[in-house]
Amino acid sequence: MGGHSNWPEWVYVGIVIALMTWVGAEAWEAERLIEHVPEDAEVIKVVGQQWFWTFEHEDGTTEIGELHVEVGKAYKFEITATDVNHSFNIHDYVVLLDAIPGRVNTVWFAPTEPGVHDIQCREYCGLIHYNMRGTLYVEEPSA
Amino acid sequence: MLPWVFLVVSAAMILPAAAAFAAGDEPGEYLDRRVVIWNLFFKMMTVAFTVGAVVSGTIIWLIWRFRESNPKAKPTPYEGTDW
Repeated sequence: MGGHSNWPEWVYVGIVIALMTWVGAEAWEAERLIEHVPEDAEVIKVVGQQWFWTFEHEDGTTEIGELHVEVGKAYKFEITATDVNHSFNIHDYVVLLDAIPGRVNTVWFAPTEPGVHDIQCREYCGLIHYNMRGTLYVEEPSA
Repeated sequence: MLPWVFLVVSAAMILPAAAAFAAGDEPGEYLDRRVVIWNLFFKMMTVAFTVGAVVSGTIIWLIWRFRESNPKAKPTPYEGTDW
């Protein structure tokens, strides 16, 4: 193969490797950022069961089907289920995590403004799955 | 050429990561996961459509440039033929 040059192939290989590295690094960084739970986050235990959600706050207050939180605070959800697999979703805040019996999955978020948002199960969990809904009330800080 | 590609991509990769490393650590200041996720999606889509355009353009150019009827075409001199 005298005189044959293959430098374009090496440039191509280099660009592909660089792009894949960049894509992987960006995704890893985004995941690292959103998985970093603030130390002052308030823990809310979330339990999914056919076909409703139960929320338990740090002070022991329990809510069923609705959840009240405050603007400017961070909340860490500890999510589990008692019967079958569910999936906890607050669509407007891009919170989505499976609720699995015997396992506690965690995700956190910090509401930015007052409002009312839907909570919905996103894993088919039986007959009334479509109606396994809840309501998130984001309120002004109380103190 | 290749080291430059790595250099540029590394800089584009490391600098924002370094800047964002301590983000969200201040008390009372929290990351908005919607923003982080949307930014990632936007970047990935930008790269995907750019790569798609370059690959599609290259394929179209190859088909046009190396078509049999191109006046500049130089058919492979097959052994045992006079064309």
